[in-house]
Amino acid sequence: MQSKMKESDPILEVENLFASTDNLPILKGVSLTVYPGEIHAIMGRNGCGKSTLSKIIAGHPSYNITNGNIIFSGENINSLEPEERAQSGIFLGFQYPIEIPGVSNLEFLRVSTNSRRKFLNKEELDTFDFEELVKEKLELVKMDHAFLSRSVNQGFSGGEKKRNEILQMALLEPKIAILDETDSGLDIDALRIVATGIKKISNAQTGIILITHYQRLLDEIEPNYVHVMSDGQIIRTGGSDLALELEKKGYEWTDNFVKET
Amino acid sequence: MEIIEKIKTNKLIDNQTEIQKICLHKLQSSPLPNPKSELWRLSNKSKFSNFLDYSVNEENPKLDIPYPKNSQNAIRLIIGENCQIKLIDENYSIQQLSDGELNKYIKDQISCFDQNENWSELLNLSLSCTKNILGLKINGSKIPPIEIFSHASSNSLNAKTLVIFLEKNCDIELLQVNLGKENSSLSQSTFFCLEENSSLNHGVVSYGEKRSNLVNSLNVIQQKNSEYNLGSLHFKFNYARFEIRIKQSAGKAKTNIKGMQITKKDEQISTYTKIDFNGPNGFLDQINKSLADDKSHAIFEGSIIVPKIAQKTDASQLSRNLLLSNLAQIDTKPQLKIIADDVKCKHGATISQLNEEELFYMRTRGITLQEASKLQLSSYFQEIISFIPVSKDRWDLLDKLLNEN
Repeated sequence: MQSKMKESDPILEVENLFASTDNLPILKGVSLTVYPGEIHAIMGRNGCGKSTLSKIIAGHPSYNITNGNIIFSGENINSLEPEERAQSGIFLGFQYPIEIPGVSNLEFLRVSTNSRRKFLNKEELDTFDFEELVKEKLELVKMDHAFLSRSVNQGFSGGEKKRNEILQMALLEPKIAILDETDSGLDIDALRIVATGIKKISNAQTGIILITHYQRLLDEIEPNYVHVMSDGQIIRTGGSDLALELEKKGYEWTDNFVKET
Repeated sequence: MEIIEKIKTNKLIDNQTEIQKICLHKLQSSPLPNPKSELWRLSNKSKFSNFLDYSVNEENPKLDIPYPKNSQNAIRLIIGENCQIKLIDENYSIQQLSDGELNKYIKDQISCFDQNENWSELLNLSLSCTKNILGLKINGSKIPPIEIFSHASSNSLNAKTLVIFLEKNCDIELLQVNLGKENSSLSQSTFFCLEENSSLNHGVVSYGEKRSNLVNSLNVIQQKNSEYNLGSLHFKFNYARFEIRIKQSAGKAKTNIKGMQITKKDEQISTYTKIDFNGPNGFLDQINKSLADDKSHAIFEGSIIVPKIAQKTDASQLSRNLLLSNLAQIDTKPQLKIIADDVKCKHGATISQLNEEELFYMRTRGITLQEASKLQLSSYFQEIISFIPVSKDRWDLLDKLLNEN
């Protein structure tokens, strides 16, 4: 499916990636290529390695890459620190966004945004200029200004935390965004707000990887490719109809696929 | 241990006051605290010995106060330097206690002292000369914030004592700063008496320079319906101990304590608290935080005493600790001694390291590990620092001090 000729270079190439934590193998040969403008969905049962793949791409220090490469914008990033990956344009939207008591959301967003701007050789923003920028981005996810004065994610509802993730994505303007179960815990309205935000942020230069269990997010954001993961591997790749089929037949169907292959 | 040798031979100070004589006499029989008692068991003997190695210095060289004078017209006093004060305003009065009042109060206190438990006060009062004892009585409201500084000069041991009576319905904000110069020891004892319906927001900020030591004791007696709020921060001492003793004399009083100690290198800083409820309907909310790095050692030991008379007491004591290095050590022991049967009391202790997931989250947003750790630490500090009554324009300085540490 990805063998057709592309006009530009890939943003992200995951090449035969093996990774483990505490000597326990989690990823067992994952390959994935994302070109600018593409939306990829990764689906699979709990524990199949979807979230681990996202964390490894973002540089989580608890995981070791035992084989394979992660190439981002033509550079091997296997040994880069998480902050270096983020500054260069990789964004990970967390399934469970972390609460940081005592650190104001506004300051956190400002420091993050400036670290990315510094990498892009853009002028760093002071508090006043940043407030202007953030006001504009708050509109995208329909968040109240009052969220900025609270501690990062502390006391936020599940939906507010996810909207805060999308707000961060909007501010950081990543080249690739990996959104780990951004739809979990969202009601229909919140899902629509988040999905609209993602669509507005993404463009022909960015790539998006949506990790999800459900079709409902993919109804809002239609992926170009759907990948099914099982036991640390991508066992099948297809178009958006694969997600529909999966919704209909369940993951047992993919078990049969593994057996067949 | 130069001081102890002099106590043994009672040749410490010429022209001893009556109080000094009483205290020295008490100390002569057993000049050192019992190292097996809970209060002293974990105290580093060689560091404690270093505290006692300096000669007593009754002089007070001029102090360079690192805090700028704030804009709120705070009243600033330096113990030993400018203790004369008599302020009588329409709404309030601040006056020095007369010698008679001061002596009577201190003697009453000494008569209740336990040789071991109050060893720090006995040493302090045996070394504090008259000019290094500040006694105040305060009444009224709309009182400007008060700042009281104590300091130890280099290569000496300085002893300072503070006694404050808060009269009925009085409401004040008081920041006490203890500064230790290079190679020095400071003995600071503070006594507060809060009368009915009075309220004190008390901040204690203590920090030293190279190889400075501190023994800081705080005694608070709270009468009914009084409120005592303490925010404290101790850092940068070779050896420091902060002993807090609070007695709600007839219950029905409120006590809130938020304290923190930060240790680095091979420093040892400890906090001991004893909260005694002596009547019903008392309230306590206490959090003590320790942060230990390098090869340092932080100690917290707290006890809450709820006798039968103290029914309906509501007390909570929490010790939260952060270990930043594999070689650092933290000892913590929150304790409850409850005899009353209708009370709500809880206590707990946690020791952890910097939260890895919080750090990773921040790093995925482009924040460096160093910046992320700093943000995380400042959030850890925030809860305590926001409780210390320091005006906003001096926060930057406190921030700087913490960063330097």
